[in-house]
Amino acid sequence: MSENKTLLSRNGKATTVKSTFSRQTSISTDINADASIVWALLTNAADYPRWNSTVISIDGKIAMGEKINLKSTLDPKRTFKLKVKDFEIGKKLVWGDAMGERVYTIKNNQKDGVIFSMSEKIGGPLFPLFAKMIPSFDSSFEKFAADLKKEAEIIMTSK
Amino acid sequence: MTVELLNREFESSKGQLKSYLLRITASVNDAEDIVHDTYIKAVDKLNTFRGESSLKTWLFTIASNLAKDNLRAQRRWTENITDITKSAALQNKEFFGEAMHIAMTSPQGQFEVKEHIAFCFTCISKSLPLEQQLCIFLKEVYEFKVSEISEILNTNEAMVKYYLHTGRSKMINIYDGRCALINKVGVCHQCSELNGIFNPKQNTQQELMKIDLVKEAEKGDKEHLFDLRMKILKEIDPFESKASELQLHHLEHNRQVMEKYLEKN
Repeated sequence: MSENKTLLSRNGKATTVKSTFSRQTSISTDINADASIVWALLTNAADYPRWNSTVISIDGKIAMGEKINLKSTLDPKRTFKLKVKDFEIGKKLVWGDAMGERVYTIKNNQKDGVIFSMSEKIGGPLFPLFAKMIPSFDSSFEKFAADLKKEAEIIMTSK
Repeated sequence: MTVELLNREFESSKGQLKSYLLRITASVNDAEDIVHDTYIKAVDKLNTFRGESSLKTWLFTIASNLAKDNLRAQRRWTENITDITKSAALQNKEFFGEAMHIAMTSPQGQFEVKEHIAFCFTCISKSLPLEQQLCIFLKEVYEFKVSEISEILNTNEAMVKYYLHTGRSKMINIYDGRCALINKVGVCHQCSELNGIFNPKQNTQQELMKIDLVKEAEKGDKEHLFDLRMKILKEIDPFESKASELQLHHLEHNRQVMEKYLEKN
């Protein structure tokens, strides 16, 4: 999957685009914090459960080429075995498996903060067979973005 | 800047520098060596000091860089360090014999719960990632500003805030789960147990209630309890206190035990 090219409104609301063979959920929000803080939060695997209400655990190291095991509140009994596929420090992080990829991007918003965007596209030839079994990502994406924004802004305004 | 001015600042900062280095290395020898090397390097690089930061900040920068070179090669300790070292101490008759001898003969051999709380923090903080540990000590114990810490650690202020926030959160979480002083179901009672051994005539519960950290525990404000723990560290010089010889002996034991443990695991 590639980064969502559509221009998302930065309102922290998820949008999902469905087609026969794929589904893509995207979200974007402004975060009033330095990019280094947002990046540090996104790449510290062990720390996720402390601030992110959608993640139960991430085992492994989030770095280029590394494999991680992610447990999400979306499907708590399942462990997603993912590989970090792109890792551009402070800018872009991609992890995924054969089913799809999650893309995180961080860009300056020209106002001492950043635009954080996240998208995930899942799909393939067999997608129509199991599409109905996969829950919506919208609520989870909104929680993820809101948690990240809250945590990064708390850190940024700390003394 | 002259060597005389440097010598004056070095003498006035030396105590804090040495205690900072002890708390991040957990080794008396390493702390003393790095203090010495810091002075040598400061004299050598004196012509590069531009006065953009205070001399004290500059000295802490040199010392932190030397310590980081040393510490990066070592594995971090584990947060259950007090369990591991307690188990090792119970199997080591020599350790308690030496400790009792220090307690009975040394003017700096008194066991005090507050000293042990500071010692415990030194040990457990070594389970944090190095940058988080350094930031916590520099800010919470040695009272450097975020801007000064960013100079000392050669990083931006945002990252210092990140390290401080995550380090604090992790330590609060560890103590909340482990420390029986602030949590009735906490698994670690080591300071109370040791007080019973070294001060058998004392009523340990009465002694504990003299400590603000314990008195305030029932209110459950975890951030405030962490600040009170840091206040204890600020008030104690681990080389000069009434308990220093006993606690340094204990620290050396723990360091040796952890080095062996990390080699095997």
